[in-house]
Formats: sequence, C-alpha cells, structure tokens
Amino acid sequence: MAKIGVFICHCGENIGGRVDCSKIVEALGEHPGVSVSVEYKYFCSDPGQESVKKAIRENHLTGIVVAACSPRMHEATFRKACAEAGLNPYLCEIANIREQCSWVHSDKDMATEKAIDITRSMVEKVKLNNNLHPIEVPVTRRAMVIGGGIAGIQAALDIANAGQEVVLVEKEPSLGGHMAQLSETFPTLDCSQCIMTPRMVEAAQHPNITLLTYSEVEKVEGYIGNFTVRVKKKSRFVDMQTCTGCGDCYTKCPVKKIPSEFDCGLGRRTAIFTPFAQSVPNNPIIDKDHCIYFKNGKCQLCVKACKFDAINFTFQDEYLDLEIGAIVVATGFQVQDTAMYGEYGYGKYPDVITGLQFERLASASGPTAGKILRPSDQKEPQHIVFIQCAGSRDPSKGVRYCSKICCMYTAKHAMLYTHKVHGGKTSIFYMDIRAGGKGYDEFTRRAIEEDEASYLRGRVSKVWQENGKLMVRGVDTLLGRPVEVEADMVVLATAMVPQPGAKEFAKTIGIGYDEYGFYNEAHLKLRPVESSTAGIFLAGACQSPKDIPDSVAQASASASKVLALFSKDRLEREPVIASCNEATCAGCWGCVLACPYNAIEKKDILDRSGKVIKQVASVNPGLCQGCGTCVTFCRSNSIDLAGFTEKQIFAEVMGL
Amino acid sequence: MSIEVQYRDRAKELLAKGEVKLVIGYGGGSTPNRRRPVFASSPEEVDRLVLDSLCIANLSGYLVTEGLLSDEKKVAVFLRPEGIRSINILAAENQLNADQVVILGFETAGSDIRPLEGGNVLDFSEFIVTLSENRVVSDSDPVIDKLENMSAQERFSFWQDEFSKCIKCYACRQACPMCYCRRCIVDCNQPQWINTSAHTLGNFEWNIIRAFHLAGRCVECGNCDRACPVNIPLRLVNRRMAVEALNSFDHFAGLSVTQEPVLASFKKDDTETFIL
Repeated sequence: MAKIGVFICHCGENIGGRVDCSKIVEALGEHPGVSVSVEYKYFCSDPGQESVKKAIRENHLTGIVVAACSPRMHEATFRKACAEAGLNPYLCEIANIREQCSWVHSDKDMATEKAIDITRSMVEKVKLNNNLHPIEVPVTRRAMVIGGGIAGIQAALDIANAGQEVVLVEKEPSLGGHMAQLSETFPTLDCSQCIMTPRMVEAAQHPNITLLTYSEVEKVEGYIGNFTVRVKKKSRFVDMQTCTGCGDCYTKCPVKKIPSEFDCGLGRRTAIFTPFAQSVPNNPIIDKDHCIYFKNGKCQLCVKACKFDAINFTFQDEYLDLEIGAIVVATGFQVQDTAMYGEYGYGKYPDVITGLQFERLASASGPTAGKILRPSDQKEPQHIVFIQCAGSRDPSKGVRYCSKICCMYTAKHAMLYTHKVHGGKTSIFYMDIRAGGKGYDEFTRRAIEEDEASYLRGRVSKVWQENGKLMVRGVDTLLGRPVEVEADMVVLATAMVPQPGAKEFAKTIGIGYDEYGFYNEAHLKLRPVESSTAGIFLAGACQSPKDIPDSVAQASASASKVLALFSKDRLEREPVIASCNEATCAGCWGCVLACPYNAIEKKDILDRSGKVIKQVASVNPGLCQGCGTCVTFCRSNSIDLAGFTEKQIFAEVMGL
Repeated sequence: MSIEVQYRDRAKELLAKGEVKLVIGYGGGSTPNRRRPVFASSPEEVDRLVLDSLCIANLSGYLVTEGLLSDEKKVAVFLRPEGIRSINILAAENQLNADQVVILGFETAGSDIRPLEGGNVLDFSEFIVTLSENRVVSDSDPVIDKLENMSAQERFSFWQDEFSKCIKCYACRQACPMCYCRRCIVDCNQPQWINTSAHTLGNFEWNIIRAFHLAGRCVECGNCDRACPVNIPLRLVNRRMAVEALNSFDHFAGLSVTQEPVLASFKKDDTETFIL
C-alpha cells in the first residue's frame, strides 16, 4: 500500500505568487495513495527539509513528491533528506511546478490546474519507484590537459604539484601557445617570454607531467574517472632521446624561405626547425610538406649534419591509448582572418598588419629583434594607426561579441611603440575603451596621458596607399566630422575566434559549444569551468575570449575540480542505468550503435553444448550513463531504464 | 530458354549438389493470377516452381524463421531487387548471415521479366548502388501527390478514415520481412502503450509506430500493402518515411550489408534542423 508524501513549496513568491498552493495541497490530499500533503514557503531551507524528514519518519512514507523547482536545482537536496530519514533516495521525485509552470504562465487558475496535474503525475510515478543503490566505479588518478598554452600549463602544474599524474598534450612542436608569441604583457609591461618560458620548462621537467608535444587527441571514450583517450603522436622524424637540440641540422637545411608560423609570417624558417629559440622541448621537427627529401628523396643534409644520428626519415606516427580520469580542455583561440575587411587592405598592403604580428615585431625574440620596422621596407614607421574592433562587435562582417583583450593590447602596442620609437605618433580608432580589470583603466590612461596616444572615437571606412603612405579614412564621432590620417603602418586589433577545428574537436571529445565554436560551460555563473560532460573541464580562451590573468585563474579553477575528483578512490555513480531483457532482445544491435558511451556489448547465449544459439545486447553498468537513447531506439521494448522504467513513465503519463 | 526453365534448372542443380538445403520460390496460387510461396527441399519439388511477372511478393522474410539458418547450411531464395535490399538490411541488423543466402535474382517491368546476375548479395552491390542513384524522390504516384497537396487537417482525416478500417489483424506485421522481433511492441502489456482494441486511436498508435519502426528500413516491397485485408494504403506511409530518410540523411535502405540503421547512427555532419 503506497503512502506518499506530497510537499508543495512556495519558493517564496516564485511559485506561491502564480499558483494557489493551498489548492494543490487540497487536491493532492484527496489523491489515492497520498498520506501527507503539505505546503511550506521554502522546503529547501533547513526547517523545510527537517519537516520533510519528520513526515517521512512519522508516517512511514513509501515515497515522496516535492513539488518545487527543477530537479536540477534540488533533487539532490531532497534525495539526501530522504536518505537521512531512512528512505531510499530514489523514492523521491520532484514535480517541477516552477520552471515548467509558475514561471511561464500568467493565469493563476489555469496554472494551478497545471501544477496539480504535474504533481499528480509524479505521485503516480513515485508509486512505482524501486529502491536503487549507487554504483561505485574506480577513478583513474591521471589527468589529461589538452593544450600547452598558458592555461594548459597552469592547469597541468597545479594538478602535478598536488601530487597527481598529468599528461599534457600539445598539438604544436613546442609548448607555449599564443602567450609565447607576445612581447610585453599588460598592465605591467613585463616581458611575456620571461614569465612564460620558466613555466614551460617547469612543466616539461616536472616528474608528474608526461609531455606529449606535436600530438593530437584523436578519440575520447568512457566517462568521468574512466576515460580512454587515443593520442596521435605525430612523427617529428627526430629522435627525442638522442637529439641534443644543438641546431646543426637547421643551420644546414637548404630550404630557408618558409614563412614562420610562430612569427605570423613576418619571419622565415627552415624545413627542419624549432618554432622559436626557447622552444620546449628544444628538439626540431621536420616539416614534411617543405622538406626536399620528402619531395624527391634527395638532400638529407640535416642527416649528415647531425652528430648524434638523431634524424630518421622512416619514423612513423605513433598512437597511444591512455587511461585518464579527468580532462582539462585548454585548446585556446586563433586570431580572426581579417580578409573579410577588404577595405582595410590586409594582405594587399604589407604594412597593414594584425595585432599578433605587431606583438612579434615588438618582441625581442621576433624577426626584427624587437625593433618596430615596417614589413615592406624595414624602415621605422613614424606614425602608426591602430584600428580597434577589426572584427569584434561587428555582426555584419565579423563576430558579435567583444574580444575583451583588444582595447588593452592596443593601448599596450601604442605604449611599446612610443617607448621604442621616440617621437613616434600613434592614432587609435576605437568604439569604446573597455578597460575593466585590476590596473587596466590606469593603464589605458597612462597610454593617453604619458605616452600621448591619440584616441579617435569612430570607425574606419577605408585604408589605401598614396605616395608611399597609408591613408586611413574614418570618422571622429566626438567632433562629428570625417578624418583622414596619414600613416606608415596600420595595426588591426583583430578578433579572438575559436580554433579552426574547435567544433569538430568538441564532437570528438563530446562537449558542447556555442554558435562560434567556443566551448560551453555547464553553468555560465555557477559552474564556469565544467563542460557539459562530467569529468571534462575547461580552461582559457577555448571557452570565451580571455586575457592572461583570467586564463590562469580558470586553469587553476579547473585543476581544483580535477583534484577534488581525484580526492576519492571510488566515484559513486547514479544507479539510473539501462538493462536488457535477453528473452525478447532481437539482437539487431541498433542500441549498440545508438549508445553514445559504448556501454552496450554483444553477448552470446549458449546452449548446454556451448553452441551459440542467439546473440543479445548486454549493458555494462560501469559505462552506462542512463541517457535512455537505447530505450527509445529498441523496437521490441527490450531495454528498460532503472528509475525511468516503461511502467513508471506510463503511470506518469496516465496520471496527467 | 525461358527464365523460368533456366531458374528451375539452377534450383535443381543447387539442391542436387547439396549446395543449398532449401529453395524458396513461387508457385501457382488459388487463382490464375496469384502466386504463393513454395518451399522446395528436393530436386523433385522444384518442378512446382513458377517464375513470371506475377511473382511480386518479397520472400526474404521467410529466411528469418527461427532456426532455419542456425545449421549454417545455405538456402536459395527468389528475390526481386527490393528483396535483395532486404537481405542487406537483415544482414546489417544481424538477423542472418548473408553468406548463407543464395539469391536467385530477377526483376520485372510490366509483363517483362529478366534475370539478375549473381548469387551472393555482394554480387548485387553495384546494381543496388545504381538503384539508389536512380531513385527519383518524386517518382510520383497520383495518391501521394494528392496527399502532399492536402492541408495537415485534410491529411489527418484521410488517414483517420483509412485507419478506421484497420481490424488489428497484424497481417502487415506478419508479411513484413523487417518485423522479425521475437516479441512485438504491440504485444507488451506491462505497460500497454498501444491500445489493442480496433478503434481509431489504437489503430493510429499501431500504424504510426510501425511506420517509425520501418523508417530507413522499408524497401517498399509492398508486402504489407498486399497483405492488408481491408486495403489500407500502407505503402504510402512507408514511402513517405523512406523519402524523409533519403532527403534528411541521404539514407537509401538496404544499400549494403554494413549500412548502419539511420535512426541509431550519428554522423558529425547530420543536419540538426530540429535543434532550435
């Protein structure tokens, strides 16, 4: 005999203001099988929970329904209360009368009717609920950090310093990411490489960190605590063990004119190369697409130059299958291709460059050794025009969002330039100066007041070349008139966009992303570092445009999430899992394909002599996440989901 | 030599040499223009086989009879192109081992009949690819055109009228080679999702569920349509589902023995028009 307790929560005015809770109490009180029907202002509060526990104990309830907010909010709260009162937590159901009723309706009478229906339907369901017991699964205490920029390095170091193993995967030949390319960093103007390279070295030498550079994640299987990740280690054609990084090979390489990716095309590199002098690891790789040997089988000058016989053209890509407990995704960003701004002349005029290219010009390790020189004639520019929001906040051509860092780096560029070229003039076209952050507004003020950056509020319509000068036509909206400025160089503050393969990669590892390809957090405010998939966390600009302090902070936050996960030997998993009726299963394997977690296996049913008489599907409870995809696919209704059985769902529907 | 004689000889030879244990083909029916299945397990019985343009039933469903193929011996079966596609689906869905099926293929056009070369289902791969390429989505049918031009309300009442005739005899299910489940969903009564009584609601539930279970699997052989004792145009429902599967997911049912079921497989480039 069912004895169900129904608890109707007002949620302050949230539910009580739109729905007549007393009427629900009355209606449910008369419903068959309901022993207790009460209302309260906040059942999630301490006294509220106590009253639920008391009701369970005193009335020997066999199940409860809390009519309140979404189960996402407080299902865990009330399940815990049930457990404390000696009732199996899975005998608790939440009727969502807030998000699905009071918040979305205005007619009080009809909303009340609906709330009664929703609650009734859950009462019918809970009558058929069974005791369920959590499943315990082991946790592999090894984290993987994908991306070796500042965010990835920070996350890896934090996890490793706490004594846990980390595998750090970087797709480029060296750690460092974009931060290694930068010159000085705002708002303190300390040299980016000077603060970055010690971190890179620390990560590479850390006993708890396994570094996999020039490697890519190909496949992620499994679930929180128990992922299997396939990593492709692309062949460098250089033996990392014997190579000392002496550099004899690349000084001999005859292919010297390849535009350097690290220098954003402003410098040149060889076919066997290290991306930059402080690369970690410092072993070169061979660029197969440009190497003469790979084109026609000749050359091999690098092989002859190498004193250690470290170069081998027959090395192949390797695949590693790694057992991983948690993953931090720190895959970073790209700068937007400015080709869509034909009127700014990027790609047409060599002296129109992007902000990242300017970083390379200003960097001591850059192609000009830190001198600001025009790419076209290597002369020092006397006047530079900066164009902010070249892509950001432009729904028609670029992206709708603000890239967040451009106001700051443009101010920094203007400062660096005036520090290096005395008497140099800067003009900055801007929409707004967004300088929120510690020491940020002071920084932009300093650019204006001390370094005499001239800020012009308005957009630029055209850049063209005239008499060896770049002409910039824009509007000064504060003076309300068009302006034309003569410049030696134009720097575009290009937008930060996701990595080109970001969406594809999200699908590979199974996390959500937004319209642009930035990865979605589980909750924008309260769970900003967790992805929508349990056990996968986010750090840095792969989630949204971020500056260095934000990226580092988020990286440390995800590291703390990983460490919390690793603090236990075993994870408790929800017992909401599928099971298959072997008698009726037709063995069509539709569920095997449909299962996103590869949790369904093919099982042979044998007769006494050991002969296979049929094959059926069998669910691995360790892998099943209880999503129910298999249940919906099964044509013969052979799969059922604990906690959401066919019977329960049917009762729920019929209770409406 | 007529195709009938030619195929009889081949069937006889297969049985005489012991290459197959059974030949499933067509024989004379209760009226001159009807054909019914014939099961020949000895060369002598082969003379009962008939093959002409009236042989239209898809015989592939007989292959999944419980236990028929469990001795790993081969069975020969007369199949039209749709039937060959059915073999691909049944193999893809693990219901039979395609190597145990010897196909005696033929196709008809009006009163013409011509043989299709090959024995194993893989021999027909190219032929089926050609079928899929030549498949015109709008190969029109006056009734389909009429239905497409109806408003949703009109279409609903059309089907309401049609389904009101259904007597829940499940002949469509029995005739369909794709309905091989050991227990059909309609036979589940704990809970009973589908109303078993033959009133319009239960009839709707049954026929719509069957249509969904055939989405991306129906080869439009017409077995259900012909089996229906009250002449519900079931092929129209299934045709519509096939068109949807083709247009939305580029899925032509029964293309190969490795084809994944359209509703259970996910591709990275699947359209996500349903996500708002």
